[in-house]
Amino acid sequence: MNKIYKNILGLVCLSGLVVMSASAVDQAAAAGDLAEISALSVMAKANLSQAALGGDVDAIAEAVKRSDAVDASVNQAMQSYADIVVALRNGDEDAAQSAADAIRASLEKAMDALNGVIPEQVADAVNQWKDSKANTAGGPGQPYDPPNMYDVPWNSQQMRAFYQSQFGNFWNAGLDPSDNEATPE
Amino acid sequence: MTKYCLTVGLVVAVLAGSVTVHSTYAQAADSKPALTVADQAQKAISAAEVQVEKAREAIAAGKELIAQIPEDSPLMPDVAQVVEAASANWKIAIDSLKGAKESSSKVATAKNPSIASDYALLAKVNAGVALSGAEVVQIAITYVEAVQSNKAESLDVIRTALQDALASSSQVQFNYERVKKLIAEKYSK
Repeated sequence: MNKIYKNILGLVCLSGLVVMSASAVDQAAAAGDLAEISALSVMAKANLSQAALGGDVDAIAEAVKRSDAVDASVNQAMQSYADIVVALRNGDEDAAQSAADAIRASLEKAMDALNGVIPEQVADAVNQWKDSKANTAGGPGQPYDPPNMYDVPWNSQQMRAFYQSQFGNFWNAGLDPSDNEATPE
Repeated sequence: MTKYCLTVGLVVAVLAGSVTVHSTYAQAADSKPALTVADQAQKAISAAEVQVEKAREAIAAGKELIAQIPEDSPLMPDVAQVVEAASANWKIAIDSLKGAKESSSKVATAKNPSIASDYALLAKVNAGVALSGAEVVQIAITYVEAVQSNKAESLDVIRTALQDALASSSQVQFNYERVKKLIAEKYSK
């Protein structure tokens, strides 16, 4: 009788473990979802280019809005994938699962956005992000600012060390800049 | 002791069963029936086939459009670059569609459901690579059309869309490679 119980117990535990392991996060499937969201982004760009060729300003604005919303979902999904990698590395199955769910949610949002269903708060967030990146004609830390020609890129400790070592090599070679003629004549 | 072990075993079984039942109910609660990975792969391949066919038609139209652009047009170097990008992506689209169909054909003959599911996933993602490559070709031909029809105001928008599409398309390819690597790692353990 004891033996029968043990066999039943073994079978039950094994089947339980198989079912439990089947629910583990599939990183490959998550990467597949990420690929699918990026493909939706390409489709959004194709729609935008068609709208641009048509020349209808309203259609272009709508296509830009959808494309931006899809890109927002792409960014969210990429962040979630990074979260999965970290969670799996730390053995945190729950966090990995919730990140995988977030990727699925981003995929659905991207599909909705491509079809023109964009939640108001997403549209607002995209607009706020765009406004924050607008050119402020020289404001610090903003894109499209003109380059500061007085900024010396080599004026860093690392670059100084590099040039000093180069000079050291030159010095050790026994040459002096004055050894070279300034002109070929 | 035996009774205790049996109770623990039953609890594990009930818990495991509840996970399965829960997900089954969740699927049933969806308005649309849940697609299997194999169905999704088939759907993705069909969508990619449609876009590849559209890209083929666009290329045929593009050849005529390029012939109509004056050779001394200042935009000719741009057109050459765009055609180069289209050519590279056309090759990617064709190769990936072929690969997707090949993976899909192995789903039915796979040794077990796990391998079948992995083949289906590969087919689905590769079909996505084909689709995005075909879309890039179409955007490139749209640019050529805009040059040919002197739609200067559209060029900037289409050029930017093409650059963004190329970036997104490379993300699709990158993730396909990632999926391939993860699946290969699973079987090399």
